[in-house]
Amino acid sequence: MNFRIIKTVIAREYLTRVKKKSFLITTFLVPILFAGIFVIIFLIMGSTKERSQKVAVVDQSGFVMPYLESTDRITYLDFSKNDPDSLKNQLEQFGMDVMVRISPLDTVKKTVSVQSYSKDPVGVDFSTGLSDRVENAVEDYRIQQYGIENLKQIMQDVKCDVKVTEYTIDEKGNESISESGIYMMISLFLGIIIYMFIAMFGGQVMSSVIEEKTSRVVEVLISSVKSVDLMFGKIIGVALVALTQFLMWIVLTGFLLGVAGSAFGKDMLQNFTAGSESVTQVTGMSPEQMQSLGIPSVQDAMEAEADTSAAAAGQPDELTVIINTLSNVPWVKLIIAFLIYFILGYLLYSSFFAAIGSTVENEGDAQQLLLPVTVPLMIAYFVILIAFQNPDSGLVVWCSMIPFTSPIVMLARIPYGVPDWQLILSILLLFLTFLACAWLSAKIYRAGILMFGKKTTFKDLWKWLKQ
Amino acid sequence: MNIIECRNITKRFGEKVALEDVSVDFPEGKIFGLLGPNGAGKTTLIRIINRITIQNDGEVLFDGRPITQRDVEKIGYLPEERGLYRKMEVGDQAMYLAQLKGMSASAAKVALREWFERFGIQDWWKKKVEELSKGMAQKVQFITTVVHKPSLMILDEPFTGFDPVNTELIRKEILRLKDEGATVVLSTHNMESVEELCDNIALINKARLVITGGLDEIRREHGNNNLELVYTGEIPLAPQEAVFRILSDEDNAGRHIAVLSLAAGVTPNDALAGVLSQGVHVNSFKELIPRMNDIFIKLVTEEA
Repeated sequence: MNFRIIKTVIAREYLTRVKKKSFLITTFLVPILFAGIFVIIFLIMGSTKERSQKVAVVDQSGFVMPYLESTDRITYLDFSKNDPDSLKNQLEQFGMDVMVRISPLDTVKKTVSVQSYSKDPVGVDFSTGLSDRVENAVEDYRIQQYGIENLKQIMQDVKCDVKVTEYTIDEKGNESISESGIYMMISLFLGIIIYMFIAMFGGQVMSSVIEEKTSRVVEVLISSVKSVDLMFGKIIGVALVALTQFLMWIVLTGFLLGVAGSAFGKDMLQNFTAGSESVTQVTGMSPEQMQSLGIPSVQDAMEAEADTSAAAAGQPDELTVIINTLSNVPWVKLIIAFLIYFILGYLLYSSFFAAIGSTVENEGDAQQLLLPVTVPLMIAYFVILIAFQNPDSGLVVWCSMIPFTSPIVMLARIPYGVPDWQLILSILLLFLTFLACAWLSAKIYRAGILMFGKKTTFKDLWKWLKQ
Repeated sequence: MNIIECRNITKRFGEKVALEDVSVDFPEGKIFGLLGPNGAGKTTLIRIINRITIQNDGEVLFDGRPITQRDVEKIGYLPEERGLYRKMEVGDQAMYLAQLKGMSASAAKVALREWFERFGIQDWWKKKVEELSKGMAQKVQFITTVVHKPSLMILDEPFTGFDPVNTELIRKEILRLKDEGATVVLSTHNMESVEELCDNIALINKARLVITGGLDEIRREHGNNNLELVYTGEIPLAPQEAVFRILSDEDNAGRHIAVLSLAAGVTPNDALAGVLSQGVHVNSFKELIPRMNDIFIKLVTEEA
């Protein structure tokens, strides 16, 4: 290997791509899109917050009202003496936005029913906030009914214990859902990012190989550079482009959010950060939806650093869960693993892409040969959809060990906790497979790059491998 | 001194034999013609010398020792299938290829500017290759082949795609590079340029070396010992079986152009004495050397 020459190849591969308009556009547009989505969410949140809702409560149970603590967004006012049926038609006269009727206690079911009436539909956060509070009231009532001293205290202790044992016991209701929801999003996000980057930049390696072949510049190139050096120079050059783009996205999104933050006021951004978390938790958006909106990416980063600031920003009961969850995520391990798996996974797959690119003269011909490469990628993609439901199932564990799926699947597993020995074994297997496959790919590449005018078959590939 | 010596090169692609036991030397500072019909194995030989393909058997010596990847930097290769990055600027591209051949960026820039000036194409530097015509791109490609001052240049069909003006330009550059001490290998089907430029040739057919040596010797060897005689005389020349046969005699109002075939072991001097003894008036008398084209066709079809 001639490193000076490889460096020259890397520099060209890197610079021609980075100087391309399309690179600049995606590099700058994606963060604007990210930041834009945040600002839009922020504006929506801000607008509902500005107009704090006044809620007239007709509490016919007689014990719920004390639990309805007002927040800066929602003010609960006691209208228990009014007739709910006439009140709900006179909201505007009283300057109220919503009327809430809490029924008398049903002594059989030991619960109350709640109805809300308003001119404009109420938000999801309103109804969840309300039902949380009413549930607290009913729960306290039920605890009291047992007549056991300190039962509430005991219940709280039990609750705390359940939290620590995490969600293998799935009896905790809301809290456990929100916890696994965050894990699920982090793991899905990481898996998908790796999948995307491997497919996208591996594809770039392939088209660049095909370009050199169809333009016939390759014969001049390999009269100066050894074909293996050319292949790896290209792969590394594209990898650097990928890392540059990724870094730029993070920096630019952070910068834009910073600008947006100072424009809209610091405390509002804090509230907004807290708010967006609760939205995530409350709206029950599917992770796919969240992903398609590009929300989790930056949110993860922001949540990580917002740990302390968000805690001060109100709604502690919902936030504590999220913060607990986030602080339980092994971030350092996750980031190191992300880099290792991204680099190794990309290297493994892009050497395949390069080898396949060398055997065809246009991208259309590549489709059939690409099948053995894209199938494991697709399998990995589907396995991560299973991974968050059942991170310790046999299928998921095996796929996080098999080198062709491990970069994607293992990353999706990490937020749920993976034993170190599994992690090390998986990385080791991936690395060894990469070495073996790079060697085989280089053989195919060397032979394929000079083949013209004949469609390559799997039989040819096999022949070249044996040479 | 030979810059390249190929020793018993054999190359197989699966069942197909592309080169079989080919030994050929390229003398230093000369222009060498590598000839052969399509598919004979010329490109394979060139690729082996460039270390693009590795032979199954035999060895290539560069300056008398086994060739290494480092030596390849001293070779300039213009493949028959030309190609440049279409989307890349001409200047950047030339810089890249020069650097791949081991030049530093600054040296490459100076040398390239010089060449661009010599070819009068300075204003192409910032153009993209796809904006150039085929001939223009060929010029750029020629420059990238020679810019690093290679001691050996391998040019595969260097004249195709050029108009007569540019063909002449390239021809002159090849001769100039030879004068500067470079060795040039021309692989071509254009026999006129072979006769005009080459000092030595090798002919490859069906994976085997058919002949190699100095151009003049080969042409002479393949002459049939024929002479062209222009004479004036009332009576046509008569054949003298022991000395010469008359292959043709064209009478233009007493001025004859005849082709004589000499008998084995007869020198042109003997033949001339024989002609003079017949009392004709000799206007001119010259050896007929066969054209490279004829030798090529003869050798290749004889093989078949």
